[in-house]
Amino acid sequence: MRNKKSFMLLFALVLVLATVLGACGSSSNGGNTEASDSPSNGAAETPADGGNAGTAEELVIKMLLVGGKPIDYDAVFAELNKTLKEKVNATVEAEFLDWADWTQKYPLKFAAGEDFDIAYTANWAFYNDQALKGGFLELTDDMLSEYMPLTWKAMPKVAWEQSKVNGKQYMVPNNNPEVTDKAVLIRDDLRKKYNLDPVISPETFANYAKTVAANEKGINAYNAKAADGWKWHELDQILLEQQNEWNLVDYSMPLAYKLDDAAGKVFNVYDTPEFKQLLAYYKDLADNNAWSKNVVSNKNDVWQDMKAGKTASYAHNLGTLAMNLAELRREQPEVELAIADLTPDKKKIAAISTQNGFAIHAPSKKAERSLMVIDLLQNDKEIHDLFMYGVAGTHYEPVGDDKFNATAGTPNYTGFSNWGANSPLNRKDASYPAEADAIAAAWEEKVYHFDLETFVFNDANVKNEVANVGNVMLRYAIPLEYGLIPDIEKGHADLIKQLQAAGIDKLQQELQKQIDEFLGGK
Amino acid sequence: MNRRGFWGDVRKYRTLLLMLAPAVLFFLVFAYVPMAGIVLAFKQYNYGGGIFGSPWNGLDNFRFFFESGNAWMVTRNTALYNIAFIIVNNVLQIAAAILLFEAVGKWFRKISQTFMFLPYFISWVVVGAIAYNLFNYDVGTLNVMLTAIGLEPVDIYNTPSYWPFILVLVSAWKTLGYGSVMYLAAITGIDTEMYEAAEIDGANVFQRIFRITIPNLYPTLIILALLAIGNIFRGDFGMFYNMVGNNGLLFSATDVIDTFVFRSLTTSNEIGLSAAAGFYQSVLGFATILLANYAVRKYDKDHALF
Repeated sequence: MRNKKSFMLLFALVLVLATVLGACGSSSNGGNTEASDSPSNGAAETPADGGNAGTAEELVIKMLLVGGKPIDYDAVFAELNKTLKEKVNATVEAEFLDWADWTQKYPLKFAAGEDFDIAYTANWAFYNDQALKGGFLELTDDMLSEYMPLTWKAMPKVAWEQSKVNGKQYMVPNNNPEVTDKAVLIRDDLRKKYNLDPVISPETFANYAKTVAANEKGINAYNAKAADGWKWHELDQILLEQQNEWNLVDYSMPLAYKLDDAAGKVFNVYDTPEFKQLLAYYKDLADNNAWSKNVVSNKNDVWQDMKAGKTASYAHNLGTLAMNLAELRREQPEVELAIADLTPDKKKIAAISTQNGFAIHAPSKKAERSLMVIDLLQNDKEIHDLFMYGVAGTHYEPVGDDKFNATAGTPNYTGFSNWGANSPLNRKDASYPAEADAIAAAWEEKVYHFDLETFVFNDANVKNEVANVGNVMLRYAIPLEYGLIPDIEKGHADLIKQLQAAGIDKLQQELQKQIDEFLGGK
Repeated sequence: MNRRGFWGDVRKYRTLLLMLAPAVLFFLVFAYVPMAGIVLAFKQYNYGGGIFGSPWNGLDNFRFFFESGNAWMVTRNTALYNIAFIIVNNVLQIAAAILLFEAVGKWFRKISQTFMFLPYFISWVVVGAIAYNLFNYDVGTLNVMLTAIGLEPVDIYNTPSYWPFILVLVSAWKTLGYGSVMYLAAITGIDTEMYEAAEIDGANVFQRIFRITIPNLYPTLIILALLAIGNIFRGDFGMFYNMVGNNGLLFSATDVIDTFVFRSLTTSNEIGLSAAAGFYQSVLGFATILLANYAVRKYDKDHALF
């Protein structure tokens, strides 16, 4: 009898819970449809309707940022909001999409029509995709000059041009030229231990990796986080793109053109002799255990593995590697790292301004004030410092007007995409490694400008092919590159065959057509 | 016929109807209302138009799935894995339930039941990490043990043929406790007089199990199996994605419709294509359950779902 009673009680509880959940579900459902049914149509909502153009009403601006939420978010944003409220009567509230799964969550935020005003975006973070799908508000010159006077003055015209999609502006790009080439971080102490030549080329790198793999037990000579589904990884970028002076149009399809080819002729990178040579190079490294046999299942943070002494090299962009280097010098001065540039003599591609930036969410009702906020984040010294570096004295020690020293609090306010506010006001880490500066300076001299720099591919007509080709890259190219397929010849033939079945030819024709039109219009 | 009429019936059964209401509400909100979203499978979605305003594009969204050449492979994988899961899991769950029922000692029973139940609460993300630490080539527990006793290490993450066994095993491990509770409940409901009579007639333990317990479990088994068959074309995404991830070498043996669609479409963010794949799964699942139910009806009318 008692059993029956308690069972009924449990049952009742479940029912109540189900009702509550059901109610929650239905109400949030309603909110969603409402939001996604009524997005403004880009340019239609110009400041003409001027409803909230003034700053009389206090507004909360919601930001969507990529990266982990910094530990001291509350403290820093409280300070930031105090200043913002004084200047434009607005406060900001940020939502963070963790690095682990931002690629999945970011598009969903737009698809679900969630309520936010400013979104971080970049050419590597769905900028073209969302702009073409109508996720961002179109920004007219009038809006920009009226609500972003500082930025309008500071930003070079070419930066605006580079960030247009189909001739329309959807982004406030960052204002900080850099080179996007990748370099490799190596353990210089290990290199010296085995009397190896400095690592300056693919051959010297292979030599380093193989020596470390052969002699150091329990260390992966090279490591990558392949499990997160990147189809075109850093070593490909260095050894195929940079080495041969090619440019991949989009990292989710293997189509490239030569940098100095004025006609912009597109070819399949997997179908080149260069790629076959690279496969042999990779296979040699894999057979010598330069990386783990399970590299494609690796879920660890590679930099953390390197700090723990379990990995002896990894590839990334120069800025990140320099920060890693500075970090380790602070924390483990006994370990000696070096940044190795494997393609020092090749042409470099300048980051176009869309490398980082902020955009306005299309349905936002607070576009004007959001632009004012972005204006200050990028170009107001006080607010810029707060947003980029945190609270002076706690998270950084200002050195003059353009440098800073890291403090014990630095790690508590870092690691997310505040880079959209990069500008000439940026401070440099006073301990920024001199060698990284030297490499950067050398790269700047070799920057190569070409017509297709600002070309953007519109995949609307070939989305089936893009999805299928991406799948083939992941399934056939990645294991082949990491030397996991014993017979390279056969693996390569399979890859080409599968790409053809997936429709690479149609993709190539469409891309070539768009490139020809783009170049014809120049 | 009915003197009280509709509202009279409602009044008479109000308690029962009230108890039914949450479930009806749940399915209304989460299953029937969103069903309108099926139109997305036939549309070129854009934010401006939203779900209903976007332009139609016929069967274009289905091209991706069928032209990829993978449709057959992933559909087959999904169905075969689910059939294996249904058979293996149910057999093990029934066995566990019978063992628990026959076990003497309240403490032993409670403790073993708790231990069997535990894996059910572990998230697939964690299970994936545990599996990686067990199976990886360089420092995995399994290979460290194998090399310690002088055997060759096995390269599990690069060998597709191991995976059907691993996945079936992991699924059985994870669902054993949860499933056996349902069968245990059914066993507890069997009339004890039958057992007493059997004992008097001199039936031994095995005869009791095979002649009384198992035949009495058929209705439960059939209902659970029918419910599972309706989902036979839906891969357990959490399981497959966290166990296998983006390891291309294993896809031939482990790719199910859900992971295939997820991988192809999250980064390209084409809602129409995903909706088309979901629609395909639903149609297949609907057809299968109608067939299965029809087969059960032919065999025994009382056991069919509808």
